[in-house]
Amino acid sequence: MPLYFSEREVVIPGQLLSDNGKHGGEGTYVIGGKVYAAQVGIAVRKNNKVSVIAFKGVYKPQPGDRVIGIVTDVKPNGYEVMLSRHLSGNMRIPDRREVKSFNLKVGDVIYAKIKESGLRGVMLDPSDRVKKIEEGILVSIHPAKVSRLIGRRGSMINMIKRLTGCEIIMGRNGMIIVKGPNPKSEFAAISAIKMVESEAHTQGLTERVENMIKNIMEGER
Amino acid sequence: MEKPKLISEDGVRVDGRRLDELRPIKMEVGVLDKSDGSAYVEFGKTKVFAAVFGPREVHPKHLALPERAILNCRYHMTSFSVEDRKPLGMTRREVELSKVIREALESIVFLEEFPRTSIDIYVEVIQADGGTRTTGLTAASLALADAGIPMADMIAAVAVGKVEGHLVLDVCDIEDKYGEADLPVAMAPRLNSIVLLQLNGRLSREEFQKAMALAREGISKIYQMQREALKRKYSSVEEG
Repeated sequence: MPLYFSEREVVIPGQLLSDNGKHGGEGTYVIGGKVYAAQVGIAVRKNNKVSVIAFKGVYKPQPGDRVIGIVTDVKPNGYEVMLSRHLSGNMRIPDRREVKSFNLKVGDVIYAKIKESGLRGVMLDPSDRVKKIEEGILVSIHPAKVSRLIGRRGSMINMIKRLTGCEIIMGRNGMIIVKGPNPKSEFAAISAIKMVESEAHTQGLTERVENMIKNIMEGER
Repeated sequence: MEKPKLISEDGVRVDGRRLDELRPIKMEVGVLDKSDGSAYVEFGKTKVFAAVFGPREVHPKHLALPERAILNCRYHMTSFSVEDRKPLGMTRREVELSKVIREALESIVFLEEFPRTSIDIYVEVIQADGGTRTTGLTAASLALADAGIPMADMIAAVAVGKVEGHLVLDVCDIEDKYGEADLPVAMAPRLNSIVLLQLNGRLSREEFQKAMALAREGISKIYQMQREALKRKYSSVEEG
């Protein structure tokens, strides 16, 4: 297929990417059978689709995503959960008598799965392993950087977990829970997460993160 | 004040520019920390900041639309931006400019991607020397792109004026004051559509055609600079 960009080129909204309207992927739009970029990001070719990996942008909920949210309201038939600044989801519980059994208060942090996302808003699935987070530090990063933090087949996040010994729970919406054996390792893990967020599109990041974690973990304080 | 001589015999304007020359332009993206996207644009002595917040929840809630986001825009001139201190608050003119800037931006942003939310745009004029609405719009579209909001195209804008019988590109304050006409034009260059067009004063049909051609030329240059400003920001991160 004819392309109008070089691999991993930074593109801006309105830039022509492809002549074939069937190739439009995420971060693009199609007008008149041609694909154009809709966001600032890196243009890539994947599975016969042209898509733009945005540098910034808001979280777009997809069914099946596991997210971390904060309970903002307790209703007779369920809970309202804040997922990000612009997005709140509802967890509707079919049997009203069971609402109490979740034992959630306003301000509690939960880990849940998105059941559906559409015009009626975001629905969380109450039957699929909803977990109340009892302790840990809530870190929030840009949702666009979550996939970088996971890395290829989990390489990045597993490395951070292994080196710091922290337990890390990640939500697709950019909220992350860090729970570690001591403040130093928690600090190392959070620093690493922040570093990945700010330098997500640079080369050789894994090595630099590894070095930084080692430096912190071996330091006196 | 008496009307100064605005264009010399050999076609040089008060600030030393040729008739079809833009002022020195500076653009920077991502300048404000607390915003989701921001930009700073300078056209000569006109200096404008734009900040974008959102998409975020709408307050008050009843204003939210179920099928698309709402766009809020505030164009504001700081009280120290003009020679005589401008009183605080929104004047009639600022309310109007907020509206035209909002409507121009609504035509390129994919609002239907964020139902029940609002996207707030703040355009703050730090120093005004003519062409603040066009500079503001240029900055606002950069800030929207920086915020990662999906849109069909960028917007570049410039004003064309008629001064002492000559058509001039990118009018400054003094040319605007003593000139015969002022024509701010904003375009989405890729879509090739005009998203803002106002006219103060009179132009003949031929003059209008020529003015639009002049504006198009300026806009394509400004668009190129917007592109570079956006690419510059993200390539500089790559090196660090």
